[in-house]
Amino acid sequence: MNVVRTVGVSRRYGPLAALDGVSVELAENTIHGLLGRNGAGKTTLMRILTGQDFETGGTVEVFGQHPYENADVLSRVCFIKESQRYPEKFRVKHALRAAELLYPNWDNAYATALLADFAIPSGPLLGKLSRGQLSAVGVIIGLASRAPLTLFDEPYLGLDAVARQLFYDRLLADYAENPRTIVLSTHLIDEVSDLIEHVVLLDRGKVLIDADAESLRGEAIAVTGPADAVERFAAGYEELHRERIGGSLRVTLTGAGHRHEPGLDFEPVSLQQLVVRTTQRNGRPVAAGKES
Amino acid sequence: MSRVLDVVRIQLVHWPALLGYPLLALAAMPLLGWGIDVSNGEGALGAHEIYLLPALWGVIAPAHLQTMTQVFPFTLGLGVTRRTFAAATALVVLGQALFVGLGLVALDVVERLTGGWGREAQIFGLDVLGQSNPLVLWFVYSGPLVAVSAIAVLAGVVFQRWRLTGIYLAIFGSVAVLVAVGVLAKTQSWGPAIGGFLDGQPPLALFTAYPVVFALALGGAGWLVLRRATA
Repeated sequence: MNVVRTVGVSRRYGPLAALDGVSVELAENTIHGLLGRNGAGKTTLMRILTGQDFETGGTVEVFGQHPYENADVLSRVCFIKESQRYPEKFRVKHALRAAELLYPNWDNAYATALLADFAIPSGPLLGKLSRGQLSAVGVIIGLASRAPLTLFDEPYLGLDAVARQLFYDRLLADYAENPRTIVLSTHLIDEVSDLIEHVVLLDRGKVLIDADAESLRGEAIAVTGPADAVERFAAGYEELHRERIGGSLRVTLTGAGHRHEPGLDFEPVSLQQLVVRTTQRNGRPVAAGKES
Repeated sequence: MSRVLDVVRIQLVHWPALLGYPLLALAAMPLLGWGIDVSNGEGALGAHEIYLLPALWGVIAPAHLQTMTQVFPFTLGLGVTRRTFAAATALVVLGQALFVGLGLVALDVVERLTGGWGREAQIFGLDVLGQSNPLVLWFVYSGPLVAVSAIAVLAGVVFQRWRLTGIYLAIFGSVAVLVAVGVLAKTQSWGPAIGGFLDGQPPLALFTAYPVVFALALGGAGWLVLRRATA
């Protein structure tokens, strides 16, 4: 069963198309990775899925209904945003209490354990916490809410590598015990590549990849060797990237499967490399984009 | 309904701003009145009124601004609909006005029992509010608070949707409308008629019915803005 279904969704801001004909289906009880560069449209898509933004065209369904002002849908959705802002007079315990009031599956004991794990005191005003501590509070709310659809939009801002790993570990462990649909938007693809089961790659508002992570892992290979031999091998396959060093050629291919040839080096391509190469092939100038 | 009450509880997390500070302001008013009388010297002798009640409006408004600009976007991310948040806000506004209004009634009673704080001062029992029974007086006190809160809520919603540009346009627009109405009333010589109409209104209409109707109109406008506001 699909929790999310979009068909041809677009979102325009004047002449700018933040989303352009996005059609995706997100299956229930799966960890989905929503990947893409800054400005790819990830946040816009999540805001539309949570009724916070409005599509210009297309069809949006969450739990089979349109999410906008739909209490039945939104009561099952938790959206933890990048740079989540909190009421400045709220203390950590107030933010957690608010989430407890709103989510029927809220696990208070788990939230308390997570506070200890992330070393977040419950007493201080949220306005006094560091960026990393605020991100940890968001992560705790997202995990302990146990909302049937939980969306994390780059929730790791300010979290160090140890804290991020803690988040991934707790997410995976809790997901194993309490399966639910999780959408994780991130730039740190290598860090989550073992976590996500399904990948949606957006670029310039369009879907470039919509596939199971497992199938993607075997999808691409990098072939290195003498240029002529590599050219012969690569003929007929889809080429994502090539780089030439002297007489040697290295190409990244999809669809070559496990075919090997003597005299050539074959390396698996990581999910991050696949995303990078696919995005580059889409022809976008390599420069920092503006998140939309 | 239970979700609306849950959002009411979330809004009341910062209860000092909604309930505590207004009560503190009320408690401070007799002292402020005494200070004003002292500074006025002989001008404060005999029965006299001290117009401190509008200061209360400045104390209750900021809490509602914060509710709309900080608590609203936070709860939107936690799956609260705009409709639920608006209903909860209306309940909080009404509850706060009635709570503070009750405090005003109590201080009005104290003022009468102490002969105007021992010096015939009228801080709470202003003549314009009438000498009604306590129940009517409670509504008379609460009505303007509802209206002021509605202005603050609308300002918060406008900021949430259009940020400072919206606030500037709302202020300039409101001033332009008020000036236009003033000019029209002046050129058409409507002043005496308006004054006569207001003089003829009972306090319950003037300070409860009209402010509540005004608040409902602002609430309707606020809802139209809130429907497309985002976090």
